[in-house]
Amino acid sequence: MTKAKRLENKNDKVLSRRSVIKRAGVLGGFLLAGCDTQYYKPPVVRDGLMGVADIMTMASQRMLMSNDQLVQEHDSSEITKNFPVWNQSNPEDEEYQRLRAENYRDWRLPITGLVNKPISMSLRDLKKLPRRTQTTMHICEQGWSAIAEWTGAPLLSVIQAAGGIKPNAKYIMINAYGGWYEGYDMFDVTHPQTILAYGMNGKDIPLGNGAPLRLRVERHCGYKQLKFIKSIEVVSSVENFGRGTGGLNSDYDFHWYAGA
Amino acid sequence: MTESAKTWVYRHTLNARICHWIMVVSFMYLLYSGIMIFLHFPELYWGKVGFQGHPAIFKLEDWGISWEEAELLGDRRWGRNYHYMFSWVFVINGLVYLLWNCWQKKFYSKMLPSRRELSWNNLKSEFARHLRFPILKVKDVRGYNVLQKLSYLIVLFLLFPFMLASGFAQMPAFTAIAPELIDLFGGRQTARTLHVICSILLILFVVIHLVEMLLAGVFNQIRSMIFGTYEISLEKSEATE
Repeated sequence: MTKAKRLENKNDKVLSRRSVIKRAGVLGGFLLAGCDTQYYKPPVVRDGLMGVADIMTMASQRMLMSNDQLVQEHDSSEITKNFPVWNQSNPEDEEYQRLRAENYRDWRLPITGLVNKPISMSLRDLKKLPRRTQTTMHICEQGWSAIAEWTGAPLLSVIQAAGGIKPNAKYIMINAYGGWYEGYDMFDVTHPQTILAYGMNGKDIPLGNGAPLRLRVERHCGYKQLKFIKSIEVVSSVENFGRGTGGLNSDYDFHWYAGA
Repeated sequence: MTESAKTWVYRHTLNARICHWIMVVSFMYLLYSGIMIFLHFPELYWGKVGFQGHPAIFKLEDWGISWEEAELLGDRRWGRNYHYMFSWVFVINGLVYLLWNCWQKKFYSKMLPSRRELSWNNLKSEFARHLRFPILKVKDVRGYNVLQKLSYLIVLFLLFPFMLASGFAQMPAFTAIAPELIDLFGGRQTARTLHVICSILLILFVVIHLVEMLLAGVFNQIRSMIFGTYEISLEKSEATE
């Protein structure tokens, strides 16, 4: 794809016949060239037919996606008034509770691992980065959905603030208070709507929704949208985290790829 | 009457038989895993948004199974894994069936009703015949009757694609790939509700399919779906002449 085409795609929100043809072309291109297949499978493939199905699901969806394509944004009038609080709502973690008592004044986000300039950012640092506001739908794997407006810094600009990634970096592991951790590949990290959100519906993120910072990785189910973020580590392999499948959810046998 | 009064016809092609049984197995898994997923969130909504506390159009609670009880019955982790796996089996099996058959003339003559069959009078008399008991009085059991043809066509080309599309419309990736599809359904929760309603229609089809099979002779029917050959009693068909 040429650069001009990429720019053109950016405004292509409506599924015109042209864009369908273009997408079909991209799909064909992938099939013919056997192009960039590193984003077609999870870090650890499960055994048997289940693993085959996982790859087919992930690959077929990723073939149809490009990072120029934004997820649907909704009107601010459609924002859900009482957005559900799911899973952990207040981490039972001494350090977290201490930070919360001081309104996250001393909260820091270390970005370490395979970055050129490891740093530790405060909330104020994050708010100085380019900001993005998006009104999107949260889709829980269990079945519910709700709409909220999120404001935050694109994950990509946070990684760039840490000097960018080293050549052997493959995944980004995000740790959260309360013991959650989840891995993401660079396809999701570089998406413009993947943000570290500090604001929800125009205010600071409420406690139950992941204060002070949560992830929005819009093309996935709720269980990838990590709340109560503690640290970010850029890695080449996910094997040293938990059971080594690339996240707490996949450690407990959920799909690592949550786009379906 | 006697042995000589019976004859055999070749009713189901090898392809139809193989694809039929793979479909049966994957359909059962899809249904069971779908129920397992549903039990972990046993409410249905209409529109884009829906969650516990939001006005629901269906609550399992109203039917005497509380949220906690439903959660104990269900297993969404198992359910999700198997639902996706068998939807692949189902889809690939369906594609093989279509590709195998689409260039075969006899497939169209077997599946498509003729203009005469679609006439109002014929539909009326066929329907009346199906409501009578027993219903086996038919001249030619070699082919499908018009109601059979129509129901198979509706299931294959309407309900199955609808299940697939309403499934896609629930996937987060489709908010990027094709949000138009989600809007077409009128929102994610509507797609989810219609997915459930369509699955109930499919269950209804299976029930009728099984009842018809019982009435038409289980042994003969199942044998023909395994070996392809179907036994016809000539005496019977002559009697109706």
